[in-house]
Amino acid sequence: MAQQEKKKSRVFDYFCEKEDPYVGGVAWCAGCTLELAARFVPKVLGNDMVLVGCPGCSAPVFYGQNTGAWHRLSYFSCLMTGVASSATGISRYFRRIGKDVTVVCFTGDGCAADVGFQPLSGAAERNEHIIYICYDNEGYMNTGYQRSSTTPLGASTSTTPAGIASKGKPTPAKNMPLIMSLHGAAYVATATLSHLEDFAKKLLKAKEKKNEGFVYIHVFAPCNMGWRMESNSSIQVCRMAVRTNYFPLWEAENGKFRLTQETANPRPIQEFTRPIRKFAHLKEADIDKLQQMVDERYAFIKGLCAIGN
Amino acid sequence: MKAQKGQVKVITGNATAAYAAMLCRPDVVTSYPITPMSEVAEQLSAFHADGILDAEMVEVEGENSAMNVVAAASISGGRAFTATSSWGLSFMYDAVQQASGFRAPVVMAIANRETPGILAVSGGQQDIVSARDTGWIQIIVEDCQEIFDTIIMAFRLAEDYDIQLPVMVNYDGFYLSYLAQAVEIAAREDVDRFLEPLKQQPQRPRLVPGEPLGAGTHGIEIGFVELRYKHCTAMERATTKLDKIDKEFGELFGRSYGGQIEEYLTGDAEIIVIASGGAAGTARTVVDAKRNEGIKVGLIKIRLFRPFPRKRLVEALRGKKAIGVIDRSVCFGWNCGPMYMELRALSPDIGVVPMLSYIDGMANLDITTPHIERVIDETYAAARGKPYQEVTWIPLEE
Repeated sequence: MAQQEKKKSRVFDYFCEKEDPYVGGVAWCAGCTLELAARFVPKVLGNDMVLVGCPGCSAPVFYGQNTGAWHRLSYFSCLMTGVASSATGISRYFRRIGKDVTVVCFTGDGCAADVGFQPLSGAAERNEHIIYICYDNEGYMNTGYQRSSTTPLGASTSTTPAGIASKGKPTPAKNMPLIMSLHGAAYVATATLSHLEDFAKKLLKAKEKKNEGFVYIHVFAPCNMGWRMESNSSIQVCRMAVRTNYFPLWEAENGKFRLTQETANPRPIQEFTRPIRKFAHLKEADIDKLQQMVDERYAFIKGLCAIGN
Repeated sequence: MKAQKGQVKVITGNATAAYAAMLCRPDVVTSYPITPMSEVAEQLSAFHADGILDAEMVEVEGENSAMNVVAAASISGGRAFTATSSWGLSFMYDAVQQASGFRAPVVMAIANRETPGILAVSGGQQDIVSARDTGWIQIIVEDCQEIFDTIIMAFRLAEDYDIQLPVMVNYDGFYLSYLAQAVEIAAREDVDRFLEPLKQQPQRPRLVPGEPLGAGTHGIEIGFVELRYKHCTAMERATTKLDKIDKEFGELFGRSYGGQIEEYLTGDAEIIVIASGGAAGTARTVVDAKRNEGIKVGLIKIRLFRPFPRKRLVEALRGKKAIGVIDRSVCFGWNCGPMYMELRALSPDIGVVPMLSYIDGMANLDITTPHIERVIDETYAAARGKPYQEVTWIPLEE
């Protein structure tokens, strides 16, 4: 019996033994990985925080409507241009009055990598005591699956549709976690929902590091609707993103890079792209290009990890 | 009890703004430099570096962030100050509207400058005119002492429990921002005393970590309408509240400015000239000269631009025979000055009299005494039934 308890994962603890700050019937889609991330983050970080968010898939649930709410968290909503800066204001005020508060930004990639990038970059450079979590669903999934700067090469979105004259998005994704780590942030990590233990460790590290400076966690969060994949496939897609090295799991603590999940025999990228219909139009040559990009990016991260060792 | 005599310093409008803000003990200050207000940012940073300003200073990477930082700090319960000009105000436009919608009692100094469209590194009021429908309280001041006094009053107004709205304190960029004048810097304890009533009022709603309370809920349908209505009624309350605060300020410091509007020789006046900011000072001199010539002219300086001081203006203007309005900006789509346009809206209450719009002082051009003489002469002639031109772009007719 005692042994059984020992085996129980910490993820189980977080999920089953902590109070859920959300009520049932939240307005997220079936199979949504953002929902899992949104439920998981407060369970690990604790409810004693201020969540800062903006319009996007998370907004309908986070905002509440008029006096109604779907969660029991302290929440500040602002515009996509003002997330990291509003979090700065909140964090600075509580620091001034001597109150230790965990300020957590929780936004999609459209905010983090596009329209809210300037304040995010500014806050990272100033080393604000903020945890910024970006759930990356590779586009503007809430407004109808338009491309963002983290949409990958070749993906067909509603603003980069595949057609006779188009192969989807012509440029690769902006490498957000890497860019953020080069700001000199205290802690930067990537995470995804198939590796919750890894995600939990990183969140705990984030909480520890946020009193030293800026923390950025980039969470790979597929969107079943926007990517056109089955609603029961999202966790498998997360797993394959890691196993193909499409989305390597790493962390950088004070600029020192480390892979937290080594992939011994990476799978070919097709195993990741196959269930995702936003890649369905890609020919072999296009897939090769995507594979090349994945290999190059992985080699780059490996190289960074080697520097510190 | 009167305040003690403050130290007199000869300082620029920008430095004055920084002194006033510092004495109000803000918790969070942001600054992003832009001509002609950069000195405010520099001076505040210097105060902070010297330990005189005990606040969180956030050197943001743009004006949009400047506004978001102070608004969020304010919603968290803090006192927050920032400053900007022109394009800086344009760049924070979304956050400016959010700050007022969230009822964040931020105070922002603005050294007024022309806005984008034509590159103009020069003074004008187009920036605040463009922001008149953002739900902020907008006060325009005339000289350095008034910048100092009004910023202190602005915190009393913004953070008043009945108001809870952000306030812009506007002064002429270039003219006042860089003009050094003798300013009496109030003693710290007297500023504390003046702001003391804010501590006696009920605590305003704020963000409490760990407590299920959201700032910025999705206001839909009737919820949204209710908040808008409350915002509008708070704006309405700000009119008389400013008069009250101005009077109290006068009782303590011996200086007051008329609250929403300043009236100069309006009582027996036959015609009125209306101006704001530094131009009002020039106009006062010209009014004196014209009075000596026997022309019964009075001056109204508009201090409160938003909410528009309708009642006070109607009281002051009723029965006057003609009104000349000087604007330092334009009202696109009406082809006249914005203040003139707003004055026109008062016609049903003050009666139909000749109203003349003068556009002057744009892009750093001077509003000179001959210009104001012309305004008075033409308005006086119009009052006597002479034909007049509705809108005059003074610089184009010289």
